[in-house]
Amino acid sequence: MRTVTAAETAPRTYPWAVHADGLQVRAGRHMAVDGLDLALNVGVHGLLGPNGAGKTTLMRALATVLKPAGGQLSLLGEQVGGRADLRKVRRGLGYLPQQFGFYPRFTVREFVEYMAWLKEMPKTAVAGATQRAIERVGLADKADARMKTLSGGMLRRAGIAQAVVNDPEVLLLDEPTVGLDPEQRLDFRELLRDLGADSCVLVSTHLVEDVVAACGDVVMMNQGRVLFQGTPADLIAQGGDGDAGDSPAERGYSALLRRHRAVNP
Amino acid sequence: MTHVLGIELRRSAAIGSALILAVVGALALYFAEGIAFTDGWMQLAMSQRLFLALLWPLALAAGAWQGRREHRWKVTELFATTPRPVAQRMRPVILVMAAAVTVAYLVMGLAGGAWLIGTADYLPAPFFAVTAVGVLALVAAVWLGLAIGRLLPWLITAPALAIAGLGLLLTIPGATRPRGWLALVFSPIYEMNMPDAFATVPGRVSAAQAIWLLALAVTGVLLYAAATWRLRVAALLPVLLGAALAITVMPHGKRVVTGAIDPVAKELVCADQEPAVCLSRVHAGLMPEFLPSARQALTVLAALPGGPTRVHEDTTTYVPTRYAPWDPGVALVRLDTGQDTHLADPELALGDAVAGAFTGPPGCEDAPPLGDQLAAAYWLIGTEPPADGNGAERDRAVDVWHRLKALPGSEAQAKVVALRAAALKCTPGTALFGDAS
Repeated sequence: MRTVTAAETAPRTYPWAVHADGLQVRAGRHMAVDGLDLALNVGVHGLLGPNGAGKTTLMRALATVLKPAGGQLSLLGEQVGGRADLRKVRRGLGYLPQQFGFYPRFTVREFVEYMAWLKEMPKTAVAGATQRAIERVGLADKADARMKTLSGGMLRRAGIAQAVVNDPEVLLLDEPTVGLDPEQRLDFRELLRDLGADSCVLVSTHLVEDVVAACGDVVMMNQGRVLFQGTPADLIAQGGDGDAGDSPAERGYSALLRRHRAVNP
Repeated sequence: MTHVLGIELRRSAAIGSALILAVVGALALYFAEGIAFTDGWMQLAMSQRLFLALLWPLALAAGAWQGRREHRWKVTELFATTPRPVAQRMRPVILVMAAAVTVAYLVMGLAGGAWLIGTADYLPAPFFAVTAVGVLALVAAVWLGLAIGRLLPWLITAPALAIAGLGLLLTIPGATRPRGWLALVFSPIYEMNMPDAFATVPGRVSAAQAIWLLALAVTGVLLYAAATWRLRVAALLPVLLGAALAITVMPHGKRVVTGAIDPVAKELVCADQEPAVCLSRVHAGLMPEFLPSARQALTVLAALPGGPTRVHEDTTTYVPTRYAPWDPGVALVRLDTGQDTHLADPELALGDAVAGAFTGPPGCEDAPPLGDQLAAAYWLIGTEPPADGNGAERDRAVDVWHRLKALPGSEAQAKVVALRAAALKCTPGTALFGDAS
């Protein structure tokens, strides 16, 4: 049980939670995202693509770490870039970076509470939200263990707990399944479906199977642009028996990539 | 905020830093160079300030260690996506680190105070000012350390800063010579060594130091909490203004602190119902242990015609030279405290007090040799002067006392009376047996 704020029940005034139009983002000197168009709303979106496709750069731009170098990006109806005040947008964000940094001396609960404070959650909501986030990722029995004592998979889950503690409207998870064992991955898919029920979740991964199993929507990137967006069934439909891969989805993935590379060498 | 404050208190470097500072500080007070604060509270406050030579660099290092935390654990990217402004994010750490060094400094003071509690009564107001400046120095150091640790988040930063801090404190006096007052502005340890019993720190000195340290602290905290380079440059403004203001406020003299005397500490406080025995206010707590010797001395001196009828502490100071009030009716006796804060040599107190009858007026360069003064005193007392083994004058006292003892009583008495008369007039070459060599 928690109090629902007026802001939460207010009707949404924007058509897309995430909307990019001709978006350009630099990673160092390289334009890693170059002319990307993307529109996302509530649901779980899987972000696929080979290494160097610009997935992490896109995630970092959506997380407001990187400023767009060109094009338009709006998050939760607010324009991002230039001198925009990102405070309001950031309150509605959840982010698990690829390199999840944490304070090893903090307990899981302390770290998640600290993140809730950084996300400017109302003081009275922090303790309850923290407990709920920790339970959601299945770390309740480790809540008061120091972060440094956690295994790789537990750390990943602690990372997800901090990302979801503020019930974000946009949740960005960069490679969240790294370090999870098969059973944990099944639990994680369950959690993703649950989270996607009322927020816009973008999951970057190399694991095509995770995307097919847990995402309602697949976004595939290469060379800084979106080359495909559709349902898992659409992805599977792209592939044929002659394509590389051990599953229909993997064959669809390699077929898309092969065709894109043929057109854009 | 309060909840996060609790988390930071437990998980930051605050508690560890406080422990290290308190332990190093307390050990330094007792073991660095003997206990230099046995006279009283002011001496304790000044000794604490002296040992900022160790604590100030350590506080800088502690701040730097804490300041590199975000970089060290690679949380900058994650935290950059959160709405809370950087300045607010830094606030709990700023507060707990300041609290840590403050508590450490006060604990160090309590550790020293435990030694004084039985003997020291006089607690002058400057004690609090000197202590407050010490706290401010540590807060400024730890905040500056936080800022530097955040700007230069390397492993080497903290140890390098500790060494640089120590080096800075040690070079300030030389670098500012001959303008010692400049060193007094920028170094919280300057002129704090070996405080005299009547030492004090003038209010304007503490005020100037407080201004400088406050400005340094403000710059440290602004630098630490600044999110942009423009703000970081602006953060340098307070320290520049503070330096200018502090230089203006500081008295531009020589030995401003070393030469300062607390007149209230020097005032004589006499024993209850016994106005003949008086000690300085700072030593008034020693009256119970001094009184029996003083009474006995007065009894002995009653046998000396025209001898002193009162025993007062000799409150003469030499930087600057200020003699104790002179009166032939008063035997002046210097009083030193030992490492245990009690009278340094209680067994010598009687002889020293009686010898006060033979010292001569203040500034007398031709007073009888100390050995003769003591020989005359112990002849009056009727026991052999205790030889403490390493004092030539005390050896002489034993020698002269034996020669005096060998004389018929009336002849010896005449010599002692003559010694007293010559001492009062400061007659050159005065000695019991003609030769003053």
